Amino acid sequence: MNVGRGNLCYNSVALREINMAHSDLTSRDVASLANPAGLMENQYAPCRWACPVHADVRTYIQLVAEGRFAESVDVIRNRLAFACVCGRVCHHPCEKNCRRQDVDEAVAIRELKRFVAEKVGSSGCTVSRPETQNKARVAIVGSGPAGMSAALELARKGYRPTVFEKHHLAGGIPMTAIPKYRLPRDVLQMDVDWIVAHGVEVVTGAEIGKERTLPSLLKDGFAAVILATGLASSRMLPLPNINHPRVYPVLDFLRELAFDRQPAIGSDVLVVGGGNVAMDAARSAVRLGARRVRAVCLENEQEMPAWEWERTEALEEGVTFIHRRGPVEVVTDGGSIRALRTRGVKSVFDADKRFNPQYDDSDIQDLECDTVVFAIGQAPDFAFTHDSGLEMDSRGRLAFNPLTQQTSMPNIFACGEIVTPPGSVVEACASGVRVAAAVDMHLQTGSIRFNDALPEKIGTIPAVTAGKVLKFQRQAVDIAPANERVAGWSEVDHNLTEEAALGEARRCMGCGGGAEVMVDKCAACMTCVRVCPFGIPKVTDVARIDSALCQSCGICIAECPAGAIISRSLPVGDVQMRTRHAVELLPAGRKIVAYIGGFKASAADWVGQSESVEGVAKVYLASTTRLAVSDMLHALTLADGVVVVGCGQGLDRYPQSAGRTSLRVDHARRLLQSAGFNANAVQISLAAHEGLAGVNEAIRQAISQMSQP
Amino acid sequence: MIVAELKPFDEIMAMLAGSRKVLVLGCGSCVTVCLSGGQKQAEELASLIRLRSQQTGMDITVDVDCITRQCDKEFFDNFKFDPRGYDAVVSLACGVGVGFMSREMPDLRILPGLNTTFYGANTAPGEWKEFCHGCGDCVLAWTGGICPIARCSKSLINGTCGGTNGGKCEVKPEMDCAWLLIYQRLRELGKLDEYRKIRPARDWRKDRGSGVRRLSRQELSQIDEEPRQ
Repeated sequence: MNVGRGNLCYNSVALREINMAHSDLTSRDVASLANPAGLMENQYAPCRWACPVHADVRTYIQLVAEGRFAESVDVIRNRLAFACVCGRVCHHPCEKNCRRQDVDEAVAIRELKRFVAEKVGSSGCTVSRPETQNKARVAIVGSGPAGMSAALELARKGYRPTVFEKHHLAGGIPMTAIPKYRLPRDVLQMDVDWIVAHGVEVVTGAEIGKERTLPSLLKDGFAAVILATGLASSRMLPLPNINHPRVYPVLDFLRELAFDRQPAIGSDVLVVGGGNVAMDAARSAVRLGARRVRAVCLENEQEMPAWEWERTEALEEGVTFIHRRGPVEVVTDGGSIRALRTRGVKSVFDADKRFNPQYDDSDIQDLECDTVVFAIGQAPDFAFTHDSGLEMDSRGRLAFNPLTQQTSMPNIFACGEIVTPPGSVVEACASGVRVAAAVDMHLQTGSIRFNDALPEKIGTIPAVTAGKVLKFQRQAVDIAPANERVAGWSEVDHNLTEEAALGEARRCMGCGGGAEVMVDKCAACMTCVRVCPFGIPKVTDVARIDSALCQSCGICIAECPAGAIISRSLPVGDVQMRTRHAVELLPAGRKIVAYIGGFKASAADWVGQSESVEGVAKVYLASTTRLAVSDMLHALTLADGVVVVGCGQGLDRYPQSAGRTSLRVDHARRLLQSAGFNANAVQISLAAHEGLAGVNEAIRQAISQMSQP
Repeated sequence: MIVAELKPFDEIMAMLAGSRKVLVLGCGSCVTVCLSGGQKQAEELASLIRLRSQQTGMDITVDVDCITRQCDKEFFDNFKFDPRGYDAVVSLACGVGVGFMSREMPDLRILPGLNTTFYGANTAPGEWKEFCHGCGDCVLAWTGGICPIARCSKSLINGTCGGTNGGKCEVKPEMDCAWLLIYQRLRELGKLDEYRKIRPARDWRKDRGSGVRRLSRQELSQIDEEPRQ
């Protein structure tokens, strides 16, 4: 019998305001906290700080590392409605800010999110609806990430949201414009289903501005309306023959594909544009069987805005690029397209780095093709605002107050790309969350005031510390070879295997979740200074452990004689609580507690679903560095023996793990011996890296040695 | 700093004979620093007592507490477990704490869990060494900072005895002869003239020869003046 960690109530952060950056933590503060994890709410790791929805990355990665997949998704979805979609397509600013880059490579956060979100699916994670959902009805126009996020947040706050979607399927741009090879529809549906389960009504095939209008919604009893229609139409250029049926606005082209209506194309496709949407269009054209697909853009290779990986994969799939040319005319010949006439581009950006292309009209060239897709940007479609009374600004945009998310009419709100610069899914989700808060404030209090200040961000790791952190290679995601990819619409990159996901999650350094000193208990004894393998603690008046530097190994916590150091990411007394719980579950008879360093353990091991040894309560730890002598002796008061199974030398996530663990076991045995007990009741084996069979065998051997004199 | 170490467990259990409810009380100062009497060590001892209790059917209830210092009564306000509710308190303070607690709480059985051993300093991770004897009449100025009272088996003050043997002490062969160390140190300092001076017999009344020693800071004595109305 073995158990995972107890309920840590990661998400409930009802705690006193304790600003760790500017005041000292005392034991009284800690006693007032339900969970020290609350301390981390006052200081964000860079991954969380950079995330537009500020998802608690460190916590959900940690939960993956412990095989607690459903809880992990709950933590993600606490902030991010579109966990599955973002697992596929997020631009992952978290990874760009990951401090692991100072050591080796960033943790593959997006891939881990994909792994866990899709593993759990829409049914496996918690749907927590408020007891009553009888607050006002709110209409949301558009079922994309912004609108659905807003609807979810309103439902969570007890409102009755109804989402109106003009297409027959909900999901917005992820549904209509992201190709299936990047985002399979069942993956998107997991998010939509989960959101709907919160009491969100979705009306599809309902285009506002036709049967229903904004004024009619307000008349029909909706207390507020949120506009979340995004950028629904493709920008086009007023060029000759631009309306030829084989000239596609990119969203039309992608939407046809999305709804399984094969767009008619020829064999020689030219995509105009150098962004990610252009890459989607070009790669889709390859899959439609075009003989030649080329992308022509104003920018050169370095300037083009598409992600590097997207460009590389397009190249692998046979897409070629023509840089520094701009379209002039679609040249037709007897009703068919013959070419796209282009002119040279001298420069794209001006001295102020603004988009301001300069052309060379003497350099005219016809690029042969029979189909053209224009992917030069998207624009909002304001058709639905006619006769609504909504004002537009001087540049033809929706009049909008970003401080309150309101349009010119106080009960009509807006979010997403209709009012923000073009961005990614997660940014739209953030905008949706914000507008829901605005609507709530407006309806409850009549005034809208945001405090957008973020907790402080943990700083960088100095090189001297980074150099002491053990390096572990990032798990590579398996991408199908290009010839297999272009043969159909199945996904191009494969999910992490469970083993790879656990390995990757355990690369997370848990920034800011490490040690914290309770100043009133610290005796300034220097023990933490002397045992820390990273050289982080400093004793000034009392010990000071910089949470920005601490690597969370827990050695100082276990060694501190004053019990003055706590972990910011674990409940105080975590090991002893888990031990008690695990032993209680054992049947009558001889009881053994096994503490196992879980760096190489499987998810099933962590959550107690793998084979154990009879009469053994297994307690998995991130590392045995976190196991104190007092924990071992405490376990002996509950059981007949203790086996500590650490990782072998150099095989754990933390330096000095094997040595420190061995010294502690020796100390526990000396104490037992000096007190006249059987010292063999505590055994050690350094076999935790050998997997379940090795661990079980080590435990059996250790048990057999317990009875020996 | 005062250094102490855990008493033999059987001795502690003998002291606890007949006690049903026991508080193990750590002290958050010197004995925490030398890893003998802090919160963690109190927890360890408590576990050992519980184990013995379980094995022998003694049915002892053990709680653990730790306060900043047991030698200042203001810290007694910080008990999380009231010591008055226990048959015995095993104090993991030095003898000062045990004695002071006993004086301040005369109704309680305050038992020493540690043997107080010396005034020392940390010389390597996990190692403490005696540096001072508390003799009341410091001589370190002319012994190169090496205390002959604490470190010479005979507390001599005018050089080695005849028992120095290859730099080691005749009383304890693994112990360095303090006076050889002093000689070497003074030679390094160019102060061997200090070594050549004959020191008169010490006044051992400043040690323990004339009873309990006191420190009296009159400028901090209690003021009984009534506040002006």
